[in-house]
Amino acid sequence: MNPFDGGWFIVVSFIVAFVLTVFQLPAAAPEFLAWLRPSWVAIVLFFWVLAVPHRVGLIVAWLIGFGLDVLLDNPLGLNGFILALLTYVTWRFHERLRMWTILQQGSVLFVLLLVGEVLRGTMLVIVDGRDFPVAALLVALSSALIWPAISMLLDRLQRQVGVR
Amino acid sequence: MKAIFFRESGAGYLLFALGLVSLILASVDALTNLLVPVRQNIGTLMSPAYFIAETPYQLSDQIGRVFASRDSLQKTNDELEQRLAVLAQVSQQVRSLSSENERLRALLGSQERLATEVLISEIVGVVPDPRIHQVVLDKGADAGVFVGQAVIDATGLFGQVIAVENTTSRVLLVSDVAHAVPVEVNRNGVRSIASGTGVFDELTLESVPVSTDIRENDLLVTSALGGRFPRGYPVGSVRSVVIEPGAAFAQVVLQPAAALDRTRYVLLVRELPPQVNLVAGPLDDEAAKADDAIDAQATDSGDGQASEQSDAGSQP
Repeated sequence: MNPFDGGWFIVVSFIVAFVLTVFQLPAAAPEFLAWLRPSWVAIVLFFWVLAVPHRVGLIVAWLIGFGLDVLLDNPLGLNGFILALLTYVTWRFHERLRMWTILQQGSVLFVLLLVGEVLRGTMLVIVDGRDFPVAALLVALSSALIWPAISMLLDRLQRQVGVR
Repeated sequence: MKAIFFRESGAGYLLFALGLVSLILASVDALTNLLVPVRQNIGTLMSPAYFIAETPYQLSDQIGRVFASRDSLQKTNDELEQRLAVLAQVSQQVRSLSSENERLRALLGSQERLATEVLISEIVGVVPDPRIHQVVLDKGADAGVFVGQAVIDATGLFGQVIAVENTTSRVLLVSDVAHAVPVEVNRNGVRSIASGTGVFDELTLESVPVSTDIRENDLLVTSALGGRFPRGYPVGSVRSVVIEPGAAFAQVVLQPAAALDRTRYVLLVRELPPQVNLVAGPLDDEAAKADDAIDAQATDSGDGQASEQSDAGSQP
């Protein structure tokens, strides 16, 4: 029993990523924690592009971005492009990246998300006239730091499910 | 997928095309309202995420309720009863005061104040970007929520609805940098605009001339100019007034009245349409007469003029 070659598991992982994206911190949590919320959807996408590059492609990544646009109240298409860019670079070098250690992969994710956050910050400055605090770039750091854990977890689960 | 999109040369072109489409979409979305229905549909699709993310808190609430001791329940119950008694006493006065106010307004010939109704709603999510002060409520278009609706909490103005989905709606908080609300000083009716600063516990007043009569601890309430917010909800109190020598405007910082980062329940306010007055004719005549009388008085004292002016907010 493995409908769609484990495709359901890919979908579920993205749903979980979206839920984590909007998860409210407890009221007692210090305010700076809000800046450290990892970019869950990007992390999960990075994992799947590395693991099954033939299943998660540019168009899928771009469409997932629309969900993020609405959740984050960004202009439509912004997150789609950020995720598509991440997918393209990851896919281009996925054979090499797979050979690398988990920490090296994390640093690649860091750079990709840094580029993404700079794009988002610039867009918010242009469109809404919002500030672009340096703290906004911490997303890349927290995501890269949590990457090893997520990567190992998803790797174990996808082996059990048998995603092909 | 691979055969179509991931040929060595094709992917680069595809990325370029997606970037171009994204740029066009983002520009259209930022400059026009054309994509609002699209956003609404995607938002409806995404709204279950908020409810799932909210379940741990609801579960812990439930568990807390199940295991709450009798004593603590008794204690909260007593406290609530006391508060209810106090509030009931205040609302008794409110009824007589509002009817008195209505009579006085009729004498002045100004429009009747609109009655309001409220819808209680729970905050189920926040926009996970600290730059953007927005929350998501558990009531949407299905419950009659509409874009532009004012949102208050127990202590003051909270924000306004900026997007509705079927079962959720998004509220822009007064503290967001993109938010501004017309206000007036409760003490003397001086008007201004309170805008958000991107910090939860700070609002600023825009373009306040240094000669304006505004002091620390003054309460600012919504003035209903602009027609979006009902009149008279507290927005904030003045925390500091700084006048730099030579500057044209004073820097006025407000403490928001609402508990912007702590509230869980908020009220959606809706102004009911004015009730049709079946005996409008004679009453109107009376009001006109009263108006004339006041105008006559106003010519020598100037008092009526001032009160007319402070009522300007409710004039159509």
